Amino acid sequence: MRIRLLLAIPLLGALLWAQDPALKDTFVQAKALWATQGDREGATTRFDAVVARLSSRVASLEPEWIQVLCESYNWLAVLDDRSAPNRARAQVRLQSLLELNPDFELDRALTSQRLVSLYDRMRGEKFALVKLSCQPEGGRLLLDGKPTAVLPRKFLPFGTRKLVYGRPGHAPSEITLELGPHDVKSVDFKLVRRASTIILYTHPSDVEILLDGQSLGFAIGKAGPEAASIAQPLGLQPDDLSSPFIIPELMPGKHRLELRAPCFRTRILDLGAELASPPADHTLEPFRMAPSKGSLSVSSVWPGGELFLSGQSHGPLPVADSPVCSGTYELLVRFPGGGFSRRITIEEGKAMAIEARPKPRLAFLGLDEGEFTGRARFQGQMEALGERLHNLAFLAPRSGEPPKEALARLKASREAELFLVARPIPDKVIHRVELVLATFDGEEERLVVKPLEQDPLNSLTARLNAMPPIQQPSLGVSFLDLAGEPGLWVLSASEPALKAGLQIGKSVQSLAGKPIASLQELQPRLEATKGSLSLVQEGASSTLQLQNEALEIPLGSSSLCYPAVLAQLRLQYAGAKGDEANLIKLNLALALMQFRKYDKAIELLRDTRLSTVRGVSQGTVDFHTGLCFLHLGTSYQSEAAQAFRQALKYPQSTLLGPDGPLVAPLARQALEDLK
Amino acid sequence: MRVLSPWFRIPAALLCVLPVLAQGQPQDGELAERLFRSGERAYAAKAYKEALETWGQLLQTAPRSDFAPMALLRLARHQVDIEQKPPAAMPFLDRLRSEYIKSPEAADGLLLRGLLLARQARRPAELKDAMAEFNRVLDLFPDAAVRGEARLQLGRAWRDQGQLGRALQQFIDAFRLNTGSTIVPQALLEAAETLDLLGDLPGCLKLLQRLRTEAPQSPEAAEATWRMAVRVKHRLLKPAFRNDGPWPGGRTKWLKTPTLLTVTPAGELLIFQNDLDRVFRLHEGELTQLEPPAPGTRALVNGPTSVLLVTKAGLIREGSVTPQPLGTLGAISGAALDRWGNLWIADAKTPAITVFAPDGAIRTMASPTANALAPLPAGGVVIATDADRKFLFLDGDGQPRIIVPYGKDLSVPFRSVTALASDGAGHVAALVDGGDYGEGVVLFGPDGTVLRQATFKSLGINGRITSLALDRSGGLILCDRRNDLLIRLN
Repeated sequence: MRIRLLLAIPLLGALLWAQDPALKDTFVQAKALWATQGDREGATTRFDAVVARLSSRVASLEPEWIQVLCESYNWLAVLDDRSAPNRARAQVRLQSLLELNPDFELDRALTSQRLVSLYDRMRGEKFALVKLSCQPEGGRLLLDGKPTAVLPRKFLPFGTRKLVYGRPGHAPSEITLELGPHDVKSVDFKLVRRASTIILYTHPSDVEILLDGQSLGFAIGKAGPEAASIAQPLGLQPDDLSSPFIIPELMPGKHRLELRAPCFRTRILDLGAELASPPADHTLEPFRMAPSKGSLSVSSVWPGGELFLSGQSHGPLPVADSPVCSGTYELLVRFPGGGFSRRITIEEGKAMAIEARPKPRLAFLGLDEGEFTGRARFQGQMEALGERLHNLAFLAPRSGEPPKEALARLKASREAELFLVARPIPDKVIHRVELVLATFDGEEERLVVKPLEQDPLNSLTARLNAMPPIQQPSLGVSFLDLAGEPGLWVLSASEPALKAGLQIGKSVQSLAGKPIASLQELQPRLEATKGSLSLVQEGASSTLQLQNEALEIPLGSSSLCYPAVLAQLRLQYAGAKGDEANLIKLNLALALMQFRKYDKAIELLRDTRLSTVRGVSQGTVDFHTGLCFLHLGTSYQSEAAQAFRQALKYPQSTLLGPDGPLVAPLARQALEDLK
Repeated sequence: MRVLSPWFRIPAALLCVLPVLAQGQPQDGELAERLFRSGERAYAAKAYKEALETWGQLLQTAPRSDFAPMALLRLARHQVDIEQKPPAAMPFLDRLRSEYIKSPEAADGLLLRGLLLARQARRPAELKDAMAEFNRVLDLFPDAAVRGEARLQLGRAWRDQGQLGRALQQFIDAFRLNTGSTIVPQALLEAAETLDLLGDLPGCLKLLQRLRTEAPQSPEAAEATWRMAVRVKHRLLKPAFRNDGPWPGGRTKWLKTPTLLTVTPAGELLIFQNDLDRVFRLHEGELTQLEPPAPGTRALVNGPTSVLLVTKAGLIREGSVTPQPLGTLGAISGAALDRWGNLWIADAKTPAITVFAPDGAIRTMASPTANALAPLPAGGVVIATDADRKFLFLDGDGQPRIIVPYGKDLSVPFRSVTALASDGAGHVAALVDGGDYGEGVVLFGPDGTVLRQATFKSLGINGRITSLALDRSGGLILCDRRNDLLIRLN
């Protein structure tokens, strides 16, 4: 990482230089004004401008700009010295220069001998000369723990100074000096090699380098002209390559080098033991990474989806055959009311197609404060809940965000349909945690769990994964399992079934050529069939078309989580039309009745129109409307009566499902009770 | 929507203050919990005395703790379940209702109180207080787990009062709003039976099927199985009676003058053998003798826990020796026990039905002379009166609901009825004689419609048939005293 930082410095400097060309121009103009036109005032003004810009941020300046600043001080000292009114300022300029970089040597071609002598005298008052010799070269020097330039002559402040010289592959060397006025000391660093180093370049840059599976960092930046000899054989320019990436200590033995970059094929290179011993510096041939892409198509029947891959938008759906770099992504499709998420891996040269079905998003806000045994385990189980959910997209809590703040954020952003918060129940010793699961409209369920249980979230998971169907395939026939009667006995049948030849009062012995023994077998077989189905009744065969029949969601069931059911239905409603949409609305109203939100249920039922008149149908809608009005109190009795009268117009309407109890006698009784 | 009763509001306000008062003594709550747990431990070990004392101590020392209502409920349940003294439970339940109405246990307490009141009731009008308690559970505790049970009980009460529409509402809500609850099978069964009483046979059958599909292992599913089978056979298929011959398994001359038959709630056949003066239970082809001997038995009645024998000497309960006198009744032609525990007895020489209440009270209801009598599942009875040549389907108050003339829906009439039998699905079988019809059987639906019929001549039966019973497979069992055997008609 340190190497990575070191390599980053020149790159950033170059960027900075490139980003401030105007200042560079000012500096060059200032020099030209004095050298070619003798315009001292103009030159002084411009050098002052350069100093004003740079001196205020010395700490963050790159070496190139430090050099510009030093030169500017040098020029200003010379210019001030040549102007009688400003001569006194020349010494101030030199003082600033010394504070900035005591190693800076004045330009003797430019500067008078007098000023040079003044500068040397001022430097000698605070700094001692240290003559450095470093073998091998190219290492890194630290002065009192801070990096400093490696120069043959260094001016160091008086006092005790520690110098450390190091280089990749070598043992660092350290020396402590006591420096005082007029001291001139010599220091010789001779490093001892202890390991091999590997220098490598990549094309392109931004490639992750792993050695024996451990990431060492990224090859970044651009190589300098020194890389020309290795770039040319590959037909590349030096700046096509990354800056050199140095593996500083290659331990003895064999190693595996791995280079990874998004959108490129991973390169693996086995390094032989001879590279590690005897220790030496090795420069590998540049690595040219080969592109690696696949394609991704995402579509959905639900409108308004937008595709995100690992947080980056890829535009609205549908997305067809979009080239995507191979690799693993967190795919997310955001819908106006829900989301679809999946971790996908795009393989090189392969196409992936996904049909996005939005799921309600459940945001876990976190575990409230309160210490208890097993808290960390429980929190881990809560945060891993998403892996166990089939019908919901799970959003983990943001690190460090308290549940209350998360709730406020999500309420405002509506990035989720459901939220879950865990609250330890205060006690002398906390043994119970209350899980609150709710929609943002206030439909809420609470569940108390014991965190030390083997799987305290088992019940919650099962409930969240349970979604009752609101339609089921049917033959339009009511069957009975009669004791002593083989097969399914036909109690009643729809007109199409009768026209197809089915006979009431007789048993069906086989379905689709396979015997059927009981009604328990029927529904799974219907669900596994599409289109039509042949039935055999006392040797006579008839073919019936399968049709979907409406169902009501079960109410008061402890195996369902009604906020989740509501969220799921709301999402389904967004993509539904016609009778399907109206059936969803009916079931949404039922779920709201579960929460005793009768007014909201009426709002939904009021506009619900089912075209069917048999089974769960318009009469069912009207009956529930009447019930809701009844629950609102005596003020709405007339509306309730009207709804029940309306329900009576549909004598074949039922509750629960096609074979449920008829609505009519219940509506009739309700009307009787209202008299 | 039900509105909270005014009586609830004042105690509720007072109870809101209780937590504040309790805060001054934090150690009370801890002590109360320990006492409660200690009582539970003792109770689990069947050390009832210790448990009751501990809970009593809890009520004395920490009456305002959350555990006080729990203790009260436990004490009440003990009186009902272990001591079997429901009246002794009432003071605990009354206190629970008056002092702890906001506690979660109050819902259970109100329900239990309602159940006990319903059990005490001897006629429909006496169900009022029980129904009030069930309604309170529904009104005051919108999230209570016992709401389903309260609806079920309320439905039964409405049904017993003859309000079938309201009963149906409650039964349907009981299973519709409490999916997965343990009361669902019972509610489905009750709703199905109510639909049948309301004349919706397909609806009844569909609900019975739903019960079998949703709770196939429940006892109610077993009930639904035979109820479906007999309804389909008798009312939809209506096949002509066929003589299966001696039953079971072709056995002949294996009884000693069998004269009376009946079927227990579990579906077993009871046979009175006149020469042995005893009743026998037929279980899987084997006869078991019931005690005591009962010479001169005229009617067999299935009680909730035992068999009742109506004899010349009086009423004899299974396992008991001393007969209970039945007054002046000398020509007993049939008997039935209703849902309230009242014993209805018909006498062939008395133009009335005599009703013996469990508390010993005797009531006489005006009625034509009944030659035969059988119970109806809705609570009333059906009688056959040869003098008027009619069948009367009487409700729980003895009022005729349906009148069916002898010979209705038949090509030729009969003159007299020897015996009647019924099943839990509302079918009534009559053993008839005389007229152009002659000896034979006629099967009626719950509405008095003739479903199936046959003469013994057409069936090739020439014995002396004195009694009959409806089995759970849609068959008729005939008792032939002359040939000492049973015959099954299919």
